Amino acid sequence: MVASLLTARGLNKQFRSGNQPVSVFRNLSLQLDRGESLALTGRSGSGKSTLLNILCGLEQPDTGSVQVLDEVFEGNNTDRQTEARWANLRRQQIGVVFQEANLMPALSLLDNVRLRAGLAGQNEDDCRDWLERLRIGELAGRFPDQVSGGQRQRAALAMVFAMNPALILADEPTGSLDRHTAEDVTGQLFDLQSRHGCGLILATHDAELATRCSHHLDLGHLPET
Amino acid sequence: MTVFSALLSHYRRHPLQLLALALMIVLATMLWTGVSHLTDHARASLAQSERAIAGQQQLVREDGQALSVQDFAYLRRQGLCVMPWLEVQRPPPEGRVIGVDPFASACFGTEAPGQAGVDALNGTPFLDIAEAKAMVRQGSDGALSLLVPVDVEADAVPADYRLKDFSMGPATGELGESFLLNLDALGVLVLLITALLVRSVYQLGLVQRRESFALLGRFGVPAARVQVLLLIEMVVLTSVCVIPGIWLGRLLAEMLGGSFGQVLESLFDAPLYAVGGDGFVLPALVMVTVVLLACFADRWLLRRLPWISGRQSVLWFGVPALGLGLAMVAWPFTLGWLYVGIALVFVAVGLLTPRVLSFVAQWRAEGAGAITLWQRRELAVLFRRLALPVVALQFAVAMVLAIQALVTTFEDTFERWLGQRLEAEFYVEVPEQSAAADGVRYLAGLSGLGDWHLVQRGKTHVVPEMAGDDAATSVEVDLFSISPIGPLVTGWTLLDATPDAWEKLAAGQGVMVNEQLARRQGYQPGDPIGFVLGEQTLALPVVGVYADYGRPDGEILVAGKILPETFNTRFQSLSLNPGTLAMAEIEQGLATVWNIDQLTVRDNGSIRSLASGVFDQTFLITRAITVLTLVLAGTSLLVMGWVFFTTRARYYRLLFVWGLSRREAAGQLRWLAMCLTGAVAVAALPLGVWLTWTLVSRINPLAFGWSLPMAVYPGFWLEMLVLCLVIGLAIAVLMRRQLGAGVAAPVVANVSGGGER
Amino acid sequence: MTCCFQPLRWGLMALVLGLTACSETPESAGFAGLAEQVDEDVFAQPAPGHRLRFPEDFGPHPRHRIEWWYLTANLTTEQGEPLGLQWTQFRQALEARDPGEPEPEPDSWPLDAAWMAHAAVSFQGQHWFSEKLARGGIGQAGATAEPFEVWLDDWHMRVEGDGRWRLQVSGDGWSYDLRVTIEGEPVAHGDDGFSPKSASGEGSMYFSLVDLAIEGEVTLDGETFGVSGQGWFDREWSSQFLKAGQQGWDWFALHLESGDKLMMFRLREAGGDFLSGTWVTPEREVIPLGADTMTLEVVEHRDTAEGNIPAQWHIRIPGRQADFNVMAPQGQYWNDGLFPYWESPVSVTGSHQGEGYMELTGY
Repeated sequence: MVASLLTARGLNKQFRSGNQPVSVFRNLSLQLDRGESLALTGRSGSGKSTLLNILCGLEQPDTGSVQVLDEVFEGNNTDRQTEARWANLRRQQIGVVFQEANLMPALSLLDNVRLRAGLAGQNEDDCRDWLERLRIGELAGRFPDQVSGGQRQRAALAMVFAMNPALILADEPTGSLDRHTAEDVTGQLFDLQSRHGCGLILATHDAELATRCSHHLDLGHLPET
Repeated sequence: MTVFSALLSHYRRHPLQLLALALMIVLATMLWTGVSHLTDHARASLAQSERAIAGQQQLVREDGQALSVQDFAYLRRQGLCVMPWLEVQRPPPEGRVIGVDPFASACFGTEAPGQAGVDALNGTPFLDIAEAKAMVRQGSDGALSLLVPVDVEADAVPADYRLKDFSMGPATGELGESFLLNLDALGVLVLLITALLVRSVYQLGLVQRRESFALLGRFGVPAARVQVLLLIEMVVLTSVCVIPGIWLGRLLAEMLGGSFGQVLESLFDAPLYAVGGDGFVLPALVMVTVVLLACFADRWLLRRLPWISGRQSVLWFGVPALGLGLAMVAWPFTLGWLYVGIALVFVAVGLLTPRVLSFVAQWRAEGAGAITLWQRRELAVLFRRLALPVVALQFAVAMVLAIQALVTTFEDTFERWLGQRLEAEFYVEVPEQSAAADGVRYLAGLSGLGDWHLVQRGKTHVVPEMAGDDAATSVEVDLFSISPIGPLVTGWTLLDATPDAWEKLAAGQGVMVNEQLARRQGYQPGDPIGFVLGEQTLALPVVGVYADYGRPDGEILVAGKILPETFNTRFQSLSLNPGTLAMAEIEQGLATVWNIDQLTVRDNGSIRSLASGVFDQTFLITRAITVLTLVLAGTSLLVMGWVFFTTRARYYRLLFVWGLSRREAAGQLRWLAMCLTGAVAVAALPLGVWLTWTLVSRINPLAFGWSLPMAVYPGFWLEMLVLCLVIGLAIAVLMRRQLGAGVAAPVVANVSGGGER
Repeated sequence: MTCCFQPLRWGLMALVLGLTACSETPESAGFAGLAEQVDEDVFAQPAPGHRLRFPEDFGPHPRHRIEWWYLTANLTTEQGEPLGLQWTQFRQALEARDPGEPEPEPDSWPLDAAWMAHAAVSFQGQHWFSEKLARGGIGQAGATAEPFEVWLDDWHMRVEGDGRWRLQVSGDGWSYDLRVTIEGEPVAHGDDGFSPKSASGEGSMYFSLVDLAIEGEVTLDGETFGVSGQGWFDREWSSQFLKAGQQGWDWFALHLESGDKLMMFRLREAGGDFLSGTWVTPEREVIPLGADTMTLEVVEHRDTAEGNIPAQWHIRIPGRQADFNVMAPQGQYWNDGLFPYWESPVSVTGSHQGEGYMELTGY
């Protein structure tokens, strides 16, 4: 049987607020195959980022399981081996894009892409091409603080695609951009994702953006007490 | 809400930052106050003691006999202002104490008889002469001198007595001054390091408040107003912090002062360390000024000299300043000139070090793999961003290196100097009017006596053999003769010698010269040297050059047998080890031979242990101060490094997101932090060595006319390197906790901090 | 004369104790209880019935705590100008010693006594003063009864071959060298030499030589004057300091033209002053004066650099038909040493004419 790209089953996550446990989500399950995209929507604090963190191993669910490719992770497990398996997945298979601060400030855009590609074991020679394809080839030698926010996010996308991931997790990647630039960047994101056939989970406030994804999961309610 | 309280609200949100700034000011004030307090009091006490015994001369008997209370009473009844001075050697830690008669010193006071004089002589190491005499009777060594004011002329002196200069001991003034100068230099360096530390904390605060300032700007508050408010904020903060700082500094000084006072007392016969009295105003003003300069001087400078802000201008200014400073120190004319040179070097090094380190890191980065490239680029950023604490630590380490080298060199030189000067266990002065030969004959006849020799000192003229007219060009030097030449001297360190040097010297076939004379006149082993002995001129080859440990006068060592009868011996003594005999017995025998009541005998063993003890104490304090400075600078780099790393934490978390395990990411941080502090140690090394050289070979000769040998101690360098690496490790550990604590969540980025490159 | 009870106590004692590194400082309770604090076992106490002995009493009294040798002179220069001079040497014992006990060895620099000497010359309204200090027991300062000698450094008073005393003193820029001819016998004050110093009976042994003929030279700022005139010599010893409540002294020694001599002192104290004196007739009959036989009043005060002092006095002794004023000449006569006090020549006008010396302490 061919495993799906990503399967999550029965995820539960609680935070403690004072003495009160606050449930972020309860018994959440989802599945994503290659080439598919999933939009996560919901108000601030509804657990979008937490879910993304759990799906890439930066956080652990209280209960439930996550399977990425053929790696299966059960419940809240932080042993060194589990951590190493997650790290390996993130290094080679899962690209993560945040709203901001995706680049090392001491490296040029090109060097950032090379670093990310190098960590993923990809050929560093193609990195300049990725910048060209995202229309920032002429900025390759600039440092993050020398380019605009949109250009930085394009470079972040270049980094993600340069690692040739199976899954991309994007947490409001255009949240700090103006509308025009945001459309431009997300256009490129969807374009590349469909061309490469990787999975995409996109956390966003933007309902219109959500409609461009093949699936939609609304975490819209506030966390239950 | 006023603008001021809006500004201050930053600290309400970041109380730790306020605490760090306050702590830095308090600690810096404490350190500087402590050092300057010690120095001030040492200086005042030294001056007081010098005043008390300034310009004295003494009366000695024409017949060479020891002075007694009867001489004193007789001279007083002749109407002379004479003061008894009974120096008694006590075992450590008491050291040398001086018995005086407060009634007798009354006539010495220049302005108010019986007051100035009495006060100056009141307190340790002075005590009533009856008590001192009791110590002598219980077995301590003591010698009575009779001091007279300097205005007493020779014709006022009764027959059977003559005037002689009275000195407190060999070159203590120089040593004391040198010591104080070192402390002063230390004080200035501490102040400089202080300024750097305060500035670094302040700047960090500014970076973190940039947003607030921008917000205030948008609300229409003029930038100038914000500046004024910041200035007020700093003045208030500093004023509040310097008070406990000064208080703690005093406490520190007083804690150290006890032993410090004792050190100077024993070393310089100075009644020492009267704590207290000084106002808070001066140190407070100095600290407020330093803090304000450190925080705001650049704004003023930038406005007037806008070019200095450019990255290139650091090089344009720094490199020539470094060259000029080094040149000024290499070829100094005056002490002032030298200090300006040193200041230039420090400023230049402070400006250049972060750039150079950063450059080196960048340079090594080119052509490396992606992760290595990141490491080195990140390191370069750290060097630039942490420039101030980096330079402060560099200065502190350099200072510690220099002080350590200086102290160890001093100690070593002193040890060897003692070894040369105090070669035998006892030292018996041959009384004037007595024949040394009688004593020699007596000693030669003793069986069971250990090694001994007769020392005779006088003056001679060296006749440079090339010069035709010898009278015009002859140089006066000290003549030092020993007979017989034996094991007491043959162990001396010879800098250069012909084979069988000691044998030739003993046979009267050659002479030895001291280092000074050899250097000054260019003598080498084998060169003939012409000198006048009595009425004859001798020409003998130089067979050896012996180390003199800073003695400024030229000296020739000859075998006693070549001294003619006509030679004017100015001073004679016997150095001897009693062997199996009792010293008292030998003394008794010599006194009988010379037919005098009291011999002047010095117990070299006790002097030696006393001197070594005193030395240890003296430099314990210097070391304590330097180590405190190091700790302060290290702590500061630790705090600054940690804070800076924290602002960059979001970027370091990317390493997790990109698939490095926690352990790998922590390893990267550890590498970064240890490279940072290790590089500081390495950068401090040349500065430290240079500073040592400057102290030893430049300041000392200019200030005091003699120089110490220069030595370096790589073992200690290693210690400093390890210490710096430990500081780095501590930063990494703190950092790891920081990264481990938070969830590596996508952060809401704040462009105002941490994004520097 | 009792000039320096107070200075001795508060000066020399403090000086000596302070400088010998003794941790105890003098009691700070004013003068209170000092008389009571004398340790009878240590120092001998003068008491009624004690007798004077000559020549021993010209020498030191090591069993007593304090004593002094004191000379004042009212002289005239060859030009006929009046010149006053004074010399005092004090001994302050730190330890009592029986006369039979051997003296401490000088070589140990003993500190059993401290010595202080004062000398002054008053001339043409100017006053020259000098002070010397010495440790006892080492030969620098001392006194012997026979042959009579009292010395400190190069200052000394001693008997010469011709039986006259010679007093040689030199200060900074001034000096004197006097020969003193003693006429008459010593005058014992009080009860055959015991002179009470308070109503409760404490006192000192005290005698004077009241007929001294003096001649010699005085050199002031390089100018030497031949001088001659009459003088007064005091010997006094005790072991007691000021009694509680006593604030100071006013002391007079007067040569009257009638040939009478008068010594008179007043101890100022809170509950009424203690007044005492001795009248010596031209026939050298000695008449002790009690407080009820005389009055002493201040006529006029003088502002001086160191305080307001009574410079003119009125003395009445009805029993001797004496009613006269005593007045210091113009000028300031402070002996400005460690413990300043006033010491000046005086002139007498009224029922009697004369001259003499006045000493005032505690102002």
